Amino acid sequence: MAVEMAAKDLIMSAKGIRVEYHDRTTKEAFLALESFDLDVVEGEFVTIVGPSGCGKSTFLKVVNGLLRASAGEIKLKAAAKGRDDAMVFQESALFPWYSVLDNVAYGLVCAGMSKKDARERAKPMIRLVGLEGFGDKYPYQLSGGMQQRANLARALTVDPGLLLMDEPFAALDAQTREIMQSELLRIWDQAKKTVLFITHQIDEAVYLSDRVIVMSARPGRILADIRIDLPRPRDLHVKRTPPFVAYEEQIWELIASQMKTSASQFGGG
Amino acid sequence: MTANASVAGKAPSPRRWAFKRPSERALYGAMGFIGVLVLWEIATDVGIFKKSLMSAPSLIVKAAMTDFGSGAIWPHITTSLSEWAIGFAIGAVVGIPLGLIIGWFRRFDYFASVMLSAIYATPKVALAPMIILVAGIGIEAKVILVLLLSIFAIIVSTVSGVHSVDRRHQQIAQSFGASKRLLFTSVVLPSTIPFILSGLRIGAGRALVGVVVAEFLVANQGIGWYISFNGTMLNSARVYLGILMLGLFGIVLGEMIRVVERRFDSWRPEIH
Amino acid sequence: MPEDGSEWPGLRVALAVPQRRDLVSVAAASGQSADAGYRTIRSRDRKQRSKLSRWYRGNERTVLGITGLVSFFVLWQILAMLGLISEFFFSSPLAILAAGIKEVQNPRFWTDVRISAFELTMGASIALVTAVPLGILIGWYRRVSFTFDPWLNFFNALPRIALLPLVVLWVGLGIQMKILIIFLGAFFSIIMPTAEGVRTVDRTYLDVARSYGATQRKLFTSVVVPATVPFIVTGIRLAIGRALIGVIVGEMYAQTEGLGVMIDKAEAALASDRMLFGVLIFTIAGIITTEAVGVIERYLQRWRPSIDVEEGH
Ligand SMILES: Nc1ncnc2c1ncn2[C@@H]1O[C@H](COP(=O)(O)OP(=O)(O)OP(=O)(O)O)[C@@H](O)[C@H]1O
Ligand SMILES: [Mg+2]
Repeated sequence: MAVEMAAKDLIMSAKGIRVEYHDRTTKEAFLALESFDLDVVEGEFVTIVGPSGCGKSTFLKVVNGLLRASAGEIKLKAAAKGRDDAMVFQESALFPWYSVLDNVAYGLVCAGMSKKDARERAKPMIRLVGLEGFGDKYPYQLSGGMQQRANLARALTVDPGLLLMDEPFAALDAQTREIMQSELLRIWDQAKKTVLFITHQIDEAVYLSDRVIVMSARPGRILADIRIDLPRPRDLHVKRTPPFVAYEEQIWELIASQMKTSASQFGGG
Repeated sequence: MTANASVAGKAPSPRRWAFKRPSERALYGAMGFIGVLVLWEIATDVGIFKKSLMSAPSLIVKAAMTDFGSGAIWPHITTSLSEWAIGFAIGAVVGIPLGLIIGWFRRFDYFASVMLSAIYATPKVALAPMIILVAGIGIEAKVILVLLLSIFAIIVSTVSGVHSVDRRHQQIAQSFGASKRLLFTSVVLPSTIPFILSGLRIGAGRALVGVVVAEFLVANQGIGWYISFNGTMLNSARVYLGILMLGLFGIVLGEMIRVVERRFDSWRPEIH
Repeated sequence: MPEDGSEWPGLRVALAVPQRRDLVSVAAASGQSADAGYRTIRSRDRKQRSKLSRWYRGNERTVLGITGLVSFFVLWQILAMLGLISEFFFSSPLAILAAGIKEVQNPRFWTDVRISAFELTMGASIALVTAVPLGILIGWYRRVSFTFDPWLNFFNALPRIALLPLVVLWVGLGIQMKILIIFLGAFFSIIMPTAEGVRTVDRTYLDVARSYGATQRKLFTSVVVPATVPFIVTGIRLAIGRALIGVIVGEMYAQTEGLGVMIDKAEAALASDRMLFGVLIFTIAGIITTEAVGVIERYLQRWRPSIDVEEGH
């Protein structure tokens, strides 16, 4: 089935995605995701929330080409320049044996650029994420927040049309996380990227996004697609406003209902 | 598979006290070292130990002065050293690439795995009589035994290094569309280096075993022969002297590899 | 967006990063005019595989491993039969088999096996029961460790087989000599990692135990020993190799009895088939003991997660 691409500004369109994992020892198929559809419009900030294990990371990996779906297809806008998509991984996803600069330059080296040129291009990105002066350091010499900045810079350096972020701030403390959220919005605004973001923090989802997708328990389906109509640019004060809190509650209710179903599943198990 | 290989993959944990307190360490170390020597000397002196069997530190020093003074011991040292160096160098030059290849190509790995673990489990010294028969009593036989003893430790450690590459690191490379070649040079090789080094460390020790065994069984020169010959002559001071030199060589070797390890491990937070 | 990439204030970024080749199918190439400018990530084709090929994919590791082993022997046999490798020096698998069949009917062979097995068990088990407690002691008490470190490091760096002539001086050429050299080989291989394991016990766990008022004894049994088990097992693995070297070289040196002597005598009699059969016995002994250690390890380590699942190809 050909995906309708009438809306010219769609950057990604997933239809009927189904993913199975195969256990090597028991040889059993494990259904992680089924009939999953999602459209993302260019320039949008879309966040996926859902119970743990519902297949969020799995979906991102399929988009990124790390994993192949067993059914369905995804249309991804081919970037005129740069990569179509790039992933910001969870904590400590930097290569410990490379300096920060070499880590940030890595995507370009992968694309066939010489190490020297790649480093040159990586430098402004290090500045953009606020890591100036840390290029020569090794990852272990950086704090968690700084590591995630470098992680983000690495993805931005390849100029991806779609930026995939899998719980990038999960391992950070609350203050650092809020700083990183504001930073991400600033960078998103400057770089004009489309972002597909995963988080467990409901406030993070509402604060960052244009749309929040709420997923059901495994195998994940879409429960709700909520448009966040809060004015931009947003600063952290927005988190105290009544509309923000209302969004939070709406999403929390949806996820809580899922937790109940899965709890009763386990209880009856 | 081996001590260092399995420890290398372990996340650093807060040590209780190891490698702290350098002065206390030195003090007690000196006490332990000198204490044993003094007790040994006294025990031989008062006749608790038989002089011909246990010798004494002073007698060992005297033997060392004689043999180093006359230069009689140098041919033994150079012989053993060259047997060791040639065999071990071939082992490293052949073993590391072979280990990388076996670890990298899945099917090749499966194909070689059973054979490799069978050979690994075989005590290679048992082949010494055959090697001597085939290669004669010259340096060749010794080099072959040294090579056989060291190379499999290097191969096996390298292979397990390639296997224990962090899956996440591999995914990152894949995610950015790294070519196979880049995946190898940017991810596999750096993460395998600690394992290669620990393979070299183990291989170097095994190689030394090879030198000693080969020289015990057939030789007329070398430290192994020096120990064995002086043993049959009941010349125990020289036996201890030979053993002492082997042990010191082993320690120097270990330190040298440690220096190299530190050079490659600059990105590691914990000092090992 | 401006072509020079100046859309990022303060930056000059002009990128033309090529895409990963295997995934690129931009409209022009794919001919899907409706989706111009889009790349399609398709799902995996569900290939209908035959039963045989499914079975092979499930057991590839075993199949190829056995194939590798078998082809090694077959190649050896063929080369020997063609005269490309000298049967006189290297024998051939069938000749070894024949020699083995003859050998197992010889009571002398079984005496040799029994003697070697006895020496090995004695030397190794004495090493185990002494090295583990001593290693824990040394690892636990800082000053004890500092005091003995120089000598331990010396003996650990020394190929212990070099002590053989000395051991002969001390106890003569009898069975005690062989047990002692096996013991020395194994002892240091076990005590070093054991002490290291105790030294590197995670302090957090110790604090947890102490904060619940664990006695010294409980501290050992509940934290120190479980955390040290992998190190002890590693030591035992190393010790097996050292102990086997001790058996073989000790017996060859003493020339009295045991499988090492059998190997040496066979080679002296130019019976390379019989000699290699003797080596094979040691290979089997090495594999069995290593496997046994693996089984014990897996049992003791069953609380450690081991994840072996496959993601789609
Ligand atoms: N490599 C794998 N092999 C087998 N099963 C897996 C694998 N990775 C994930 N799964 C399973 O697939 C399901 C979805 O996993 P996924 O990682 O996508 O969840 P998630 O939504 O990202 O969860 P979390 O919020 O905890 O990160 C889970 O139930 C998980 O157990
Ligand atoms: Mg996840």
